[in-house]
Amino acid sequence: MRLGSGIRKLLRHPAAVRDVEREVDEELRFHVETRIETLMTRGMTRQAAEAKARAEFGDLRAAHDEITAIDRGRVERERVADWWEALTQDVRFATRALLGRPSFLIIASMTLALGIGANAAIFSVVDAALLKSLPYADPDRLVSVWPEAAMMPGVFVEVRDATRTLEPIAGYSGGTSVSMTGTSEPARLVMSEVTSRFFDVLGVRADVGRTFVDGEDLPGRDRIVVLGHALWEQRFGGDRSVIGRTVIVDGIARTVVGVAPADFHFPSPAVDFWVPISLDASRANIGRYWGTSHLNVIGRLRRGVTVAQTQQEMAMLIDRARSSFPWRMPDAWGTGVTVVPLERKVVGDIGPMLMVLFGAVAVVLLIACVNVANLLLGRAAAREREIAIRASLGAGRNRIVRQLLTESVLLGLVGGALGLAVAVAGVRALLLLVPAGMPRIAEVSIDLRVLAFTMGTALATSLVFGLAPALRASRPTLQAVLGATRSAAGTLTRRRLSEALVVGEIALGVILVAGAGLLIKSFWRLHQVDLGFRPQRVVAADIPIPAFPRDSAARARLFYTAVLERARAIPGAKSVAVASVLPFGGAGSMQSSFAADIEANPVAPGGLGPMLVNTVVSDDYFKTMGIPLKGGRSFGPTESDTTSAAVAVVDELTAKRIWPNASALGQRFKPVWVKPWVTVVGVVGTVKRDSLNSAGEVSVYLPMGNVAGFWFPTQMTLVIRADGDVATIASRIRESVAAVDPSVPVKAVRPLEDLVSNSAARARFTMLLLATFAVVALTLGAVGVYGVVAYTVARRTREIGVRMALGARARDVLAMVLREGGTLTGIGVALGIAGALASSRVLAGFLYGVTPTDAAVFVSVPAVLAIVALGACVIPARRAARVDPVTALRSE
Amino acid sequence: MPPATDLALLQGTLDVLVLKALMFGSRHGYAVATWIRETSGETLNVEDRALYVALHRLEDRGWVEAEWGLSENNRKAKYYELTARGRAQLRAETTRWTQYADAVFKVLRAAS
Repeated sequence: MRLGSGIRKLLRHPAAVRDVEREVDEELRFHVETRIETLMTRGMTRQAAEAKARAEFGDLRAAHDEITAIDRGRVERERVADWWEALTQDVRFATRALLGRPSFLIIASMTLALGIGANAAIFSVVDAALLKSLPYADPDRLVSVWPEAAMMPGVFVEVRDATRTLEPIAGYSGGTSVSMTGTSEPARLVMSEVTSRFFDVLGVRADVGRTFVDGEDLPGRDRIVVLGHALWEQRFGGDRSVIGRTVIVDGIARTVVGVAPADFHFPSPAVDFWVPISLDASRANIGRYWGTSHLNVIGRLRRGVTVAQTQQEMAMLIDRARSSFPWRMPDAWGTGVTVVPLERKVVGDIGPMLMVLFGAVAVVLLIACVNVANLLLGRAAAREREIAIRASLGAGRNRIVRQLLTESVLLGLVGGALGLAVAVAGVRALLLLVPAGMPRIAEVSIDLRVLAFTMGTALATSLVFGLAPALRASRPTLQAVLGATRSAAGTLTRRRLSEALVVGEIALGVILVAGAGLLIKSFWRLHQVDLGFRPQRVVAADIPIPAFPRDSAARARLFYTAVLERARAIPGAKSVAVASVLPFGGAGSMQSSFAADIEANPVAPGGLGPMLVNTVVSDDYFKTMGIPLKGGRSFGPTESDTTSAAVAVVDELTAKRIWPNASALGQRFKPVWVKPWVTVVGVVGTVKRDSLNSAGEVSVYLPMGNVAGFWFPTQMTLVIRADGDVATIASRIRESVAAVDPSVPVKAVRPLEDLVSNSAARARFTMLLLATFAVVALTLGAVGVYGVVAYTVARRTREIGVRMALGARARDVLAMVLREGGTLTGIGVALGIAGALASSRVLAGFLYGVTPTDAAVFVSVPAVLAIVALGACVIPARRAARVDPVTALRSE
Repeated sequence: MPPATDLALLQGTLDVLVLKALMFGSRHGYAVATWIRETSGETLNVEDRALYVALHRLEDRGWVEAEWGLSENNRKAKYYELTARGRAQLRAETTRWTQYADAVFKVLRAAS
C-alpha cells in the first residue's frame, strides 16, 4: 500500500517546476487536436474545425498561464511536504538509533558538551572584551589621545580650543578615592573628575536629570555631581527626587544634577560618580593647572577625519602648548603623542591573553571532536550489516549519508544543549576567577550571540566530524552485504583513519600540555621573586583624610598620629605605620611622582630631570614592612614637625641610578618647582612596587612628620605587623579609627599577602585556565587512545587466537598491542613537540623567567603524555593477552 | 449566448459538474468536456478553458488526482480520477444543489 502510493506519487509529480509548463502544453494540445479530429470526422474542413475548436476553448494563452500558476503552487507545496516528511523520518530514525545505544549517546554528547561549553564560556568573555563594539553612540569615531604622560589641564584647554579634528573633546581622571558624607553613613567611593563635554563625547544621556553642560568645568560652576546608577540605587534607593540634593565629597558640598545610565561604566566599573574637574587657571592653582593634575583625553572624530590626521594635529597642538607653560618644559616633553581608537585602549593588553585562551579552548574542542569522530567510526563499523541491508533494499548512498549525518547532527545538538549548561556554569566560574581590571567584564553573559556561537559550533563540528564516518560507512563491502566474516581488509582504511585521528589528538594534547607547563613554571618563578619586604602577617587598611579642607595638612597629620597611637594599643600589634601608597596597592591607590632636580647633577635647561616616585611614610614604616635598612638612618623623632630640615630615604635602586659614583647619603634633590633641598639620610632595600615582574622605579620616601602641605596625601594606608593572629587585629582597626573620628570610612582591611597575590591574578588566571584545558585534553586524549586500541583488539580477537594457537605467549601478545599503541603515541608526541615549539612563541609575552623553549618542560611534557597514552593501552593489551584461543576461534 | 451559460460558469457549479463527470471512473479533460456537453443536451455550453482551470484547481485541492495515460486514439493524455475527499465533496455538493434547486422551484411554482 505504502509502496503503491509512493510510486503513484512519483508518476504524478513532474520532476521539476519547469516540467509543469510542458505538461500543461501537452494536455491542452491533446484536447484541441482531439476536438479538431472529431469535428473533421463529422465532415468539417480542417480550417473550419480548427476555428470552431479554438472558439469553444476560449483564450488558450490565458488558460495556459492560469493553469501553470495553479500547478506550480501545488508542486512547490508538495516538494516542501516531501522534504519535511523525509526529514522527520530521518530524525525519528536517528533518535531511535541514538537511544538504542545510551552509553554511546552519553559518552559522545558529554564529550561534545565539554568541548562546546568550554568554548562558549571563553567566547562570552572574548566577545564582551574584544568583539562587541563599545556601548556608546557611533563607537567607531571615538578615539583616545595618549601623550606620554596624560595632559595637564592647561594643555587640555589649549588643545580643546584649537582642535579641528575632534568634536567634542573631553578629559577625565581615572578615578580617585574620596569620602562621601551628608547622605546616610560616610562612604569611601571612587570619583572620576571629567571636563564638561565628557558625556557628549561618548554620546551618553542621563537616566534621570542631566549630565554636565559646556562651561561647568569652570570654577564656581563645578560644584555638581552625576551619580552612577549603582550608587544611586544603593545609597539613594533609586529615588528620582535625588536631583537637587546636596552631597559632601571630601568636604565640598555638591548638588546632584543627574544619574548615569545603568550600563555606563567609563572609564572603569569602579567609578561610583562623576564631578566636573575645575579648570582653574588662576595664580593660586597654577601648580595643579600646569603640573600635578593629569587628564586622559578622549574625543569624537569629525566626519571624514582619520585617526592619522588627528594624530598629526595633536602632536602639533601639544608641541605648541609647550610655550604656554609658566616654566620651561623639557624638550622631550609631549613628543610621544598617540591617537588610538578608544576600543583599543579599553581592551588594553588583555587581547593577546584572551586569544591564547581562545586558541587553547578551540584545541580542546578539536580533541573532543576527534574522539566523537572515532566513536562514530567505531559505531558505523558495528552497524555495517544494518547499513548494507538498507542499501540492498534500495536506499541510495545519498540517503544513507543523510541518515548518518542526521544522527551526528542530532548528537551535535544534544551536545550543544548540554554544552550551553556547561557554558553557564563555566561563565560563573570564570567571573569568580577573572583578574581585577579585566575590561568590560560587566558585559560578560550568555546572550543571543553566545547562543548562536554555541549552536553554530555544535552544528559545524557535528557535520564536519560526522561526514568522514558517514561517507566511510555508506560504502559497504560486498562481503559485508553477503554476511561474510568481518575481514581485516574491509576495515583497514577505517583503522588507518582512526589511527590518524588518534595521532592528531595526541599531538594537540602535547601542544596544550606544553603551553600549560610553561605557564605553570612561569607562575612558580614569579612566586620565587624577592619582594624586598615581608608581607606575611601584615594587614593593610586604607584610611582617608577626614572631611576637612584639603590644605590643612597639619590637621591631617594630627589625625594620622592619633590613629597610629590607637593602633599601637591593639593587642598583638607588633609594629604600626602609615604610608601614602603601599607596594601592590591596587587600583584605588594613587602613586604620585615628580620631576626632580639633583644637586650633584644639574639638568641642562630644556633637559629632562629624573622622575621620582614618592611615598610619604610614618616613622616605623620600614620596620613594619620588613624593608631592610642598608645605610644611614630611618625617620625618627627629628622629623616630627614641619620646622625640621627636609629629609628623605631612598632605596638602593635610586641610590645607584641617581648617584652612581658616590654614596647617596647626604646628597640633595628637590622637585623642580619648589625651593628647599631635600637631604638623603638613609638607604633601604628596593621593593617591588606594582607587579612581581616589574623592573622597579626610582623612588624616594618622605617622612609624614615634616612634609610640606602640598605633598600631604589625601589618603594613607595603615599597616600593622601582627605578633599572632592577623584576623583579630583586622577586626580592631575599624574601632580604632572610629575612636579618633567616627566620620572616616574604612573601606577594606586586607592582608598584605592578598594584595601581592592579586597582582599575579592575571598570570594565575591564564595559568589556571590553560592547566584546566590541558587536563581535559589529556583525559580526552587518553580516552581516545584507549578507545582505538580497545576497538582494534576486539576486532582482532580471532587473529590473536590464531597466533596463540600457533604458539605465541601472552607476553608476546601484550608486547604486540603495546608496540602498536606505542607507535601511535610516538608519532603523535613527535608531531606535538614540533607543533608546541612552533606555537609556544605566542606565549612569550606571558612568561616570566622561562623561555618558550624551556628544556625541562619540553622533556617532561612528552614523557607525561607518553606515559598516559601507553597507560591507556595497557588495559586492552592485557585483555588481548588473556584471549583464550579456543573460544576466539570458535566465536566466528 | 444564452444567459444559462453565464450561470453555468459560476465557479461552484462547474466544480460540481466536473466532479460528477469523474464519478464513473477516470477521464481525460476532453472526455469530461464532451460528457458535460452531451449529458446536458448541449444546454450547458461550458467554455473549455474554464473547465481545465477547474480541473487543475480541483487537483490542487486534493479532490482529484491526475495521471498520464493513453487515450482511445492512442495518444498521451492526462487522466483525472476522484480521490476519497473528492467523492465526499461531490456528495455534499449534490445535496446542497438539490436542496437549493428545490427551494427555488417551490418559489417559482407558487400559485399566489
